[in-house]
Amino acid sequence: MLTFIIRRLLIVVPMLFVISFLVYLGLELTPGDAVSHMIDPEVASRISAEQLSEMREALGLNKSFLERYYIWIVNVLQGDFGHSLAGGVPISDIVFDRLPATLELSFIAIVFSTIFGCLLGVFSALKKGSLTDNSLSVVGMLGISIPEFFFGLVALLIFALNLQWLPIGGRLLPGYETIWDRLPHMVLPGFVLALMMTAGVMRYSRSAMLDSLSRDFIKTARAKGLPEWRINFIHGFRVALTPVIVLIGFRLPTLIGGSVIIEQVFQWPGIGNEFIAAVRGQDYPLVMMIALFSVFAVLMASLIIDVLTALVDPRVRLD
Amino acid sequence: MNKFIGVALAAAVQMTSSLAYADVNQLSDVRVRQAIAYAIDMDTIVETLFEGKAIAADSMIPNGAWKAPGLNKYTYNPDKARELLKAANWDSSQTLDVVFYYGDQLTADLMVAMQAYLGDVGVKMTYRKLEGDVGGQLNAKPDAGSDTSAIKWDIAYGAKAALALQEYYNGYQMGTSSYTPGNKELDGLIERINGTVDVAKQKTAFADFEKYENENLSDIPLYYQQLFVYESKRMSRNGGQYGNDQFNYDWNIVNWTVEPDAKGKKVLYTNTAPSQFFEHPWLNPGVFIASKAGFDHLLTADGSLVPTGGQLAKSFSVSDDGMSLTFELKDGLKWHDGEALTAADVAWSIETALKVPAINAVFAKTFDSIEGATAFKDGSASSVSGIKIDGNNISLSFAKLDPNMLLTFSQFPPLPKHLLGDVNPLEFQQHSFWQKPIGSGPFKIEEVQMNDFVRYTPFADYHGGVAKVDELVSFPSGQGDANVLKNAAAGRLDFGFTKSVGDVKALEAMENMKVVAADIPYTRSLRINKFANNAK
Amino acid sequence: MMSKSALDKKFDRIRSLEEAGKLKPLTGSRALRKMLNNRLALIGLIVFLVILLASIFAPLLTAHNPMKINLRDMLQAPSFEHILGTDKTGRDVFARILYGGRISILVGLGSALIGAFIGVGIGCFAGYKGGWIDVAALRLSEIFMAFPQIILVLLLVSIVGQSLINLMLIFVLTGWGAMYRLTRARVLSLREEEYVQALQSFGLSTWLICYKHILPNALGPIAVNITLTTAMFILAEAGLSFLGLGVPPSIPTWGNILIVAQDLRVLQNNWWLWLPVGMVISLFVMAVNFIGDGLRDSADPTLQG
Repeated sequence: MLTFIIRRLLIVVPMLFVISFLVYLGLELTPGDAVSHMIDPEVASRISAEQLSEMREALGLNKSFLERYYIWIVNVLQGDFGHSLAGGVPISDIVFDRLPATLELSFIAIVFSTIFGCLLGVFSALKKGSLTDNSLSVVGMLGISIPEFFFGLVALLIFALNLQWLPIGGRLLPGYETIWDRLPHMVLPGFVLALMMTAGVMRYSRSAMLDSLSRDFIKTARAKGLPEWRINFIHGFRVALTPVIVLIGFRLPTLIGGSVIIEQVFQWPGIGNEFIAAVRGQDYPLVMMIALFSVFAVLMASLIIDVLTALVDPRVRLD
Repeated sequence: MNKFIGVALAAAVQMTSSLAYADVNQLSDVRVRQAIAYAIDMDTIVETLFEGKAIAADSMIPNGAWKAPGLNKYTYNPDKARELLKAANWDSSQTLDVVFYYGDQLTADLMVAMQAYLGDVGVKMTYRKLEGDVGGQLNAKPDAGSDTSAIKWDIAYGAKAALALQEYYNGYQMGTSSYTPGNKELDGLIERINGTVDVAKQKTAFADFEKYENENLSDIPLYYQQLFVYESKRMSRNGGQYGNDQFNYDWNIVNWTVEPDAKGKKVLYTNTAPSQFFEHPWLNPGVFIASKAGFDHLLTADGSLVPTGGQLAKSFSVSDDGMSLTFELKDGLKWHDGEALTAADVAWSIETALKVPAINAVFAKTFDSIEGATAFKDGSASSVSGIKIDGNNISLSFAKLDPNMLLTFSQFPPLPKHLLGDVNPLEFQQHSFWQKPIGSGPFKIEEVQMNDFVRYTPFADYHGGVAKVDELVSFPSGQGDANVLKNAAAGRLDFGFTKSVGDVKALEAMENMKVVAADIPYTRSLRINKFANNAK
Repeated sequence: MMSKSALDKKFDRIRSLEEAGKLKPLTGSRALRKMLNNRLALIGLIVFLVILLASIFAPLLTAHNPMKINLRDMLQAPSFEHILGTDKTGRDVFARILYGGRISILVGLGSALIGAFIGVGIGCFAGYKGGWIDVAALRLSEIFMAFPQIILVLLLVSIVGQSLINLMLIFVLTGWGAMYRLTRARVLSLREEEYVQALQSFGLSTWLICYKHILPNALGPIAVNITLTTAMFILAEAGLSFLGLGVPPSIPTWGNILIVAQDLRVLQNNWWLWLPVGMVISLFVMAVNFIGDGLRDSADPTLQG
């Protein structure tokens, strides 16, 4: 197990290196640069070419591509992630400022969808073919088929605009001290995200449970005369859990990017919003950092999934 | 299906191919430009798309005292447009490339409408939003004396917002415009509008310019955008005036009041909070609340931005020839951190502004006109010889007349030398000062939650008295984004301004809000590429 | 005489059918038959075909031109003349949804098919032959798959710029990897099968073995994946439009029609601008997903039907 983890970690490093280079190259090929976004098109005509090149020089944008990449990677290896080009703010500050907001939403979504998704999925599988199962299947399918922002906007229209039960958006107001003050703001975005995820988890755990219930060891257990609940939950569910862990594990890192749209709908100041702004403003150091951070999260998550799967499912062996 | 894919393919190919070949540009024919002006039914567009919240334009200069009488309004007349096109031998097989840089739905709708109107008189066009280096694509200047443009587009839809009216026309100077080749006549007209501080002479000069432009259409003016100042019914300006809220004027914010909330606190809510850093006030001096309420200026102005008197300055005087200007600062002025605000801060600010790229064009023109500015900028002098300070007095002597110098000083805020003295002017905006700026205005920043809110409290040492509310809170939203309406609906928006028609209509429909329209010099127009050949 | 048991009766019936020559071996694909027996999948297929055909034959269903504006006729509620009302420039919403479907389905299905073509093409060959092609493709797909989907798409949109073709290109780039890995995994196990070894010993060319004899046996999961990818791309197109990074707004697509819902005023007052198109997208994606589910069930030999 330990050698497996170490070997996998050793693959992650060159992978991040290659990806960082490719993203940097891609951004280099994008027309325009950070300076072209700092100046409003309406005043751009009054700025001389000399001034523009001076600004580029000050930000180090006049150096050659490889030179800039080299400087960037050396700094990153020394733990300096650089500054945002637009505002000069250290990137680590921006990331640590925004990340909690995104993680809050992800946490609600993951916890809620795991509990309810698994419960409903298993229930549905046990009642296969019943009316409940069929309606849950249709609802679950609807949940993964509605465009996220459409669902978000409709929820906003109903619960915030028409019924006025919940705030329309935002996260912090002056005077908010504890998480309880902020809770009402989390409800809409958190649950829109959670419900959409629940649908996926439910579908997955239903088919995993069905699959597991048709296995030979279940038949053996039944032949031994074990009580039905024990067969279903101890034997069936444990095996069904594996693919569900895989699904949830893969969702974890995606939530960093996956909430981009929900963050936009509910003006949630998370990392997704920051990423969009950075991409639009061609703020390379910031784009690089968020992109690499999310890649790192994906790679780590897939490692953790492999380890967890081995722990949960006795049939899986890591080589 | 094929038709749409065809159009899309054509657009894609057009965008990716940058093979340079010169092309005779029929837009250089004035009749074609006039035809386009006749072909677009601006009155209907204003009434429908803009829901009456804009004014069809007949000149770049806004309506009012400076508008020349008897201009041709180019009222919708498709027959006339067809006639003019025929006379100009318009080649109807070509497709005009129209560009814009706004991302809003209304602009997209306007483009759709324009395409339909031009199509109706036999002029084909496609439209696209500029991406990447927008400024570069809009403003690429051709080689001196060349009659082939360096820009790739035919028509650009955009705005000209002018702090000073001269800004509308100064850009046509020969060799400075990307789309108007310029000529002696234009240069002469530009010299006339800039060469005098005599209002009557200026008006005649402007009228002549407007008539010339009305005939020649370097830009086809489309509509004047109004500015809408909104406020909640919880608050009162207590006699403070309404005006051009994109800039600074005497709006009396220290005397504003608001009903206390449930906890008995008097909090005013507004928008324009930053998402990553506070934008410095030398480019847009009055767009953000941090600039408006956080910084004072040497002079103050009325709602239409006519300088009226001193703010930081106790008094000021202009010499008869307009070539020298003196301010006397009030006594005991302080920055928000308690340090004294002195004449040295003012002098340092002007000198630094000379080296900061991308500052407001009116400021830049004023400062460039000061004696010794050029020597200071190119490094041959260590200070600007035309700026002298003596105790509380600052005197400026000008090498060139600048009709807008008072306007500049009613908008240009001095910044604290003791905090920004080490700044590299080229990385001015990247200085850590802009994470929580220290200003001189009636409100100081108390708490910054970047991207969430900024909380301001009244500045106890403010020279104009302490503000009456307990707090000012701003949230990050601008004009035309959904957050304005969301915040207003949630009771968290007491005042602000917008140019977005959608905002206005929705705010007007809210019971707790009122909206006041203000005329501002902000004209949306079509910039026409008039070079004889087009570099496509 | 003893009465016959139920079982006996059943056998009698079968025998009489047999003697009358009415019992024939079932014809057609068993998988297809199984899928048609799956009610949800069948409904999905019908909805899919209805929306697809309505888009293709849009001119027969509406006389309105989706691009034709009429400013004096803006924001009309649904009426006999405009069955789904008009938008802010007076264009007919029903016509826009129909014509928009063409582009949205083209983007979704087209990108998924092209991605599948590339992924399957490489995956089948590389999986069978191995070697440097396999290593290169595997590494490349790992790089693409290390990104969260939306982060990668946003990056690529900013790099290549916004256009219909570019969007499809981006979807293909992000979608081929999964297809490649799926095919490769199937081929890796199939190539050890005895029939393949027999073909090899006959001296058949690699190409023939790969694409004629192995590939058809891997098509089931591939087809399932194509449906899932199609659904994902259609949703992604709508999501990107919402972020202002999708197909340029001059081209009507479902995403571009739906984004007006961002405007709170429209959201509250003009339901016909966003509700029908939102429902069409959801229905279409749901239909595609049901077809996918049905295909998966019918391709799975452990489930009898």
